[in-house]
Amino acid sequence: MTSSLNAYLVVAGLLFAIGFFGVLLRRNILVIYMCLELMLTASNLALVTFSRFNNTMDGSLFVFFIITVAAAEVAVGLAIIVALYRKRHSVMSDELTSLSH
Amino acid sequence: MDSSVQTLLAILFLPLASAALIACFLRRRTWAGAVVSVLAALGIMLLSLKFIQDWDGETISTSITWLQLGDFKLELGVLFEGQVALMLLVVGVVSFFIHLFSVGYMDEDKSKGRYFAGLSIFMFSMLGIVFSHNLIMLFIFWELVGFSSYMLIAHYYETSFASWASKKAFIVNRVGDFGFLLGIIWTYWHFGTVSFEGLRHQVMVNPDMVKTAIGLLLMCGFLGKSAQFPLQVWLPDAMAGPTPVSALIHAATMVAAGIYLLARIAFMLSPEVLEVIIWLAAIMTAYAGFCALGQRDIKKILAYSTLSQLGYMAVGIGLNLPGLALFHMATHACFKATLFLSAGSIIHALHHEQDIFKMGGLFKRMPITSGAFLIGTLALCALFGTSGYFSKDSIIVAAYLHHRPVFYVVLFSAFLTAFYMGRVLWVVFFGPANSKAAESAKESSWFMTLPLIILSVLSLLAGYEFLWPHVASIAFEPEVHVVHEAILQMGLSVHMLLYGSLAWALGLGLSLWYYGLGASADRMEAQSPQLYCLFESKLWWDELYNAYVSKVQQRFADILAFLDLIFISGLLVRGSAGLVGLAGLVFRMAHVGSIQIYVYWFLAGVLIFWGFAVGLF
Repeated sequence: MTSSLNAYLVVAGLLFAIGFFGVLLRRNILVIYMCLELMLTASNLALVTFSRFNNTMDGSLFVFFIITVAAAEVAVGLAIIVALYRKRHSVMSDELTSLSH
Repeated sequence: MDSSVQTLLAILFLPLASAALIACFLRRRTWAGAVVSVLAALGIMLLSLKFIQDWDGETISTSITWLQLGDFKLELGVLFEGQVALMLLVVGVVSFFIHLFSVGYMDEDKSKGRYFAGLSIFMFSMLGIVFSHNLIMLFIFWELVGFSSYMLIAHYYETSFASWASKKAFIVNRVGDFGFLLGIIWTYWHFGTVSFEGLRHQVMVNPDMVKTAIGLLLMCGFLGKSAQFPLQVWLPDAMAGPTPVSALIHAATMVAAGIYLLARIAFMLSPEVLEVIIWLAAIMTAYAGFCALGQRDIKKILAYSTLSQLGYMAVGIGLNLPGLALFHMATHACFKATLFLSAGSIIHALHHEQDIFKMGGLFKRMPITSGAFLIGTLALCALFGTSGYFSKDSIIVAAYLHHRPVFYVVLFSAFLTAFYMGRVLWVVFFGPANSKAAESAKESSWFMTLPLIILSVLSLLAGYEFLWPHVASIAFEPEVHVVHEAILQMGLSVHMLLYGSLAWALGLGLSLWYYGLGASADRMEAQSPQLYCLFESKLWWDELYNAYVSKVQQRFADILAFLDLIFISGLLVRGSAGLVGLAGLVFRMAHVGSIQIYVYWFLAGVLIFWGFAVGLF
């Protein structure tokens, strides 16, 4: 045990913040999508950390499931983005505003 | 349920079944509807005669609960007693002959199905009134009578006058019925029941229960339905319907219903109400007589004579002798049906000519019709020995005994009756023919003359009370007897007979002298146009009501329409729609289409939930 709990949680928080601001500020859907995954990973890291420091397996078990589901979700999400690109020839979010009133 | 009640229900529902059958299946057929309707009327007559013959005179009362709202129980039921038996006889017999006459009269009409279905539904409504067990049930059928008369008066709805007249009849009746309905509600509130038996019991136990205001409100129903002062304006215009319908309305059904109602609730009328009724009625007898002198249309003259005779009946009610009123109603049903049907026969033969001054000399060409009209006229004028003599003179005598001022009015009206009926009689049937149509007139078919013959026999004989079944004559016989005993003891019965005979003899004689046989123009119109104009105007009641409606009611309606525009359709309907639209306009602005903006909304939502969860608001 070399590092403290706080260090891990700071890293997880930083990762989440990078992901969140990436979603807010970037315009490329692919990058937004990667930022979403980054937030997911940040929460995974927090879960594993708590699991380790509490000496229980609950958090680690959750993470396995989350990674599996996230993989499936990524497959669906990327497929949608590919289909979107085929139709609109763009993946920039400021060009995809046809849902406005 | 025993067999007698079943028979009564069969009598009641036979015409309804006939009307439904015609309305659903036989409307397009020309003759099938007529056959069904006439057979139903025949069935009613035969069943009624049989029932009254077998009936032992004991009151039949049965009812079922139709509706229960808390304490309030609405019952439908049948109450059968002497007055009902009398009314059932009159309605059943007279109506059948009117149905039969209609077959001949309507032979060239294109919508026989509608006409005969209307007659049947009219019969159903009237029988419902006759059998009614309580005031609310009576009111339901009362309104049905209003509806059926509306339908039949508007039979020739292509002419604007007929549709206008039917609306007028309906609306004027609504005015009276509004008061009637208030009276019924008040009756329930005051007595806690609306059934005739219950009310009668309560009044018998405690005569102080009778309230003048309730009586006056209930009287409003009678004023509307029987076309009495001041709601008399609809009846003359109701002549726009086919003549047999006029006969039905005037003789056995609609206007008789008003008198019947008063006879049923006579025990609830306080002396003040009776005083109001007797004066309204006495004025009506004379007023209608004067109006009849200013009319040229044979049907309108008869209509005014009905108003006048209804006045006599109401005088009977006002003297607190409802039996006399019902007796006069029964005899009047016979001779007024005779008069109207003979008029119908003439109108049919003359191809819908109704002006009496374009007739003339019809006695030679239409002997049966003319004979029937003559008998009807004599009965109406109360010639000694005819039915009208027994009933009308009883009322005049009773007025002499109990209410002297009214006696003078009704005696004068008896003279007027003879005078205006003499005018019709001398002008229409004697002298030369005054038009092409009258020259070529022929006697009508048997469908029309047979009812005329039978009804004129009834007009002659209906006054002899020993010819009536005892269970029915019990409704009027004791009162007639008392009146005649009283006048006999005063030693004035010969005087009374003289007064009555003088009235009709003077009336018929003066009209013969004044108008002459087969006149082609009204002598009064030529000699004193002002007087004729006064009679013809009917004292400007129609104009008065029109002015009231256009000046007062129309203004009020305009105000209501304005308020409706501002509040209901403006504020409530448009206002609420506008509010929702405005909200939509605001919220639509949040819908920008950029994913990143939605993240902020999402964040805002999360913050609101968080705030709610920690109890910030």
